[in-house]
Amino acid sequence: MEFSHIAPLPSAGGCRLDIGYPLYQLGNPQLRVFRTNFFIQMVRPGTVQPEDTVQFRIPMEMTRVDLRNYLERIYSVPVAAVRTRVQHGSNRKRDHRNVRVKKPDYKVAYVQLAHGQTFTFPDLFPEKKRSPSGEDSVQEELLEEQRKRQSRDPRRGGVPEWFGL
Amino acid sequence: MFPKRLFSNAGFSFNLVPKNKPSVTSLHQCRVLHTTLSRKGLEEFFDDPKNWGEEKVKSGAAWTCQQLRNKSNEDLHKLWYVLLKERNMLLTLEQEAKRQILPMPSPERLEKVIESMDALDKVVQEREDAIRLLQTGQEKARPGAWRKDIFGRIIWHKFKQWPIPWYLNKRYNRKRFFAMPYVERFDRLRREKQARIQTRKKSLEKKKAKYLQEKFPHLSEAQKSSLV
Repeated sequence: MEFSHIAPLPSAGGCRLDIGYPLYQLGNPQLRVFRTNFFIQMVRPGTVQPEDTVQFRIPMEMTRVDLRNYLERIYSVPVAAVRTRVQHGSNRKRDHRNVRVKKPDYKVAYVQLAHGQTFTFPDLFPEKKRSPSGEDSVQEELLEEQRKRQSRDPRRGGVPEWFGL
Repeated sequence: MFPKRLFSNAGFSFNLVPKNKPSVTSLHQCRVLHTTLSRKGLEEFFDDPKNWGEEKVKSGAAWTCQQLRNKSNEDLHKLWYVLLKERNMLLTLEQEAKRQILPMPSPERLEKVIESMDALDKVVQEREDAIRLLQTGQEKARPGAWRKDIFGRIIWHKFKQWPIPWYLNKRYNRKRFFAMPYVERFDRLRREKQARIQTRKKSLEKKKAKYLQEKFPHLSEAQKSSLV
């Protein structure tokens, strides 16, 4: 349908459609979706998973076959097995009007990598030591001066100011 | 090697996929674009390791519709997947930031990517509409018809795809595209309400125009045209 004669790259999977996929009848050509609408995110596993298992949150409409094709064709990741489950988002919390607030449901996929590959979720927020950069040095000097001005009288021996005498 | 973050202000280059290369005979007429293809697989779900732990990550502006209209279909197809990978990476980062209870560095990148993808989709739909109009003369991709529903309203009924004809379709035949006579008074009431709303709107505009005319007679258009 969409530029099938111009961009014959194979489809990596389906897409999310409001109306649903077009009807298939025997003899129809294979449905090809040229720009997938599926966006997935890798998540850190909550419980300890085997080393070859990677955990994803995928849209509800996506199947394990779709995810396998997606990872193999777009990311060239060899996939051995995919298992999926649907996580119910809580509807128990209530706002100030006592109206229930729904957290959206999502589908979780556990992908096992092929060829004995392992994967651990990396630490994306490591603590970095900051040497004073040229832009912030002035601000940092000012802060240090403020701290020196507000430092307590050393003769009080660590006693706070609001104690009498 | 990690793929460059491809925002519109940064350099733009691609390599054609070495395997399964489509035979494009008119390639010598297009400008061939080159880049390195990252083959690291799962590492593409994460940003450049230099940016891990940073508070801000610089990024260019989003793609605009006009910039995308200048690109060929192959370029748009490739750009869609580049933006898709970027969006997946940013969604992963967002989720991890929520998990670690830390702020996500530069969340505006995600908004820019979503805006670029929507613009791309819009441009592709425009091209499809143009081709369809030229080839078949159909204005809309999905067929439909103006019909009166059971409440007496005139609606655009969009057709669904069925493997059987409409007269054999039990679910479709239960839908009524006509209104019974007792619905007429409610239709009349609805039309009266709409008429009142329109009249109120017009009279408000006239009242405002009159007020301005009284306050600023020298700025009125009738005077300008008379001077000319």
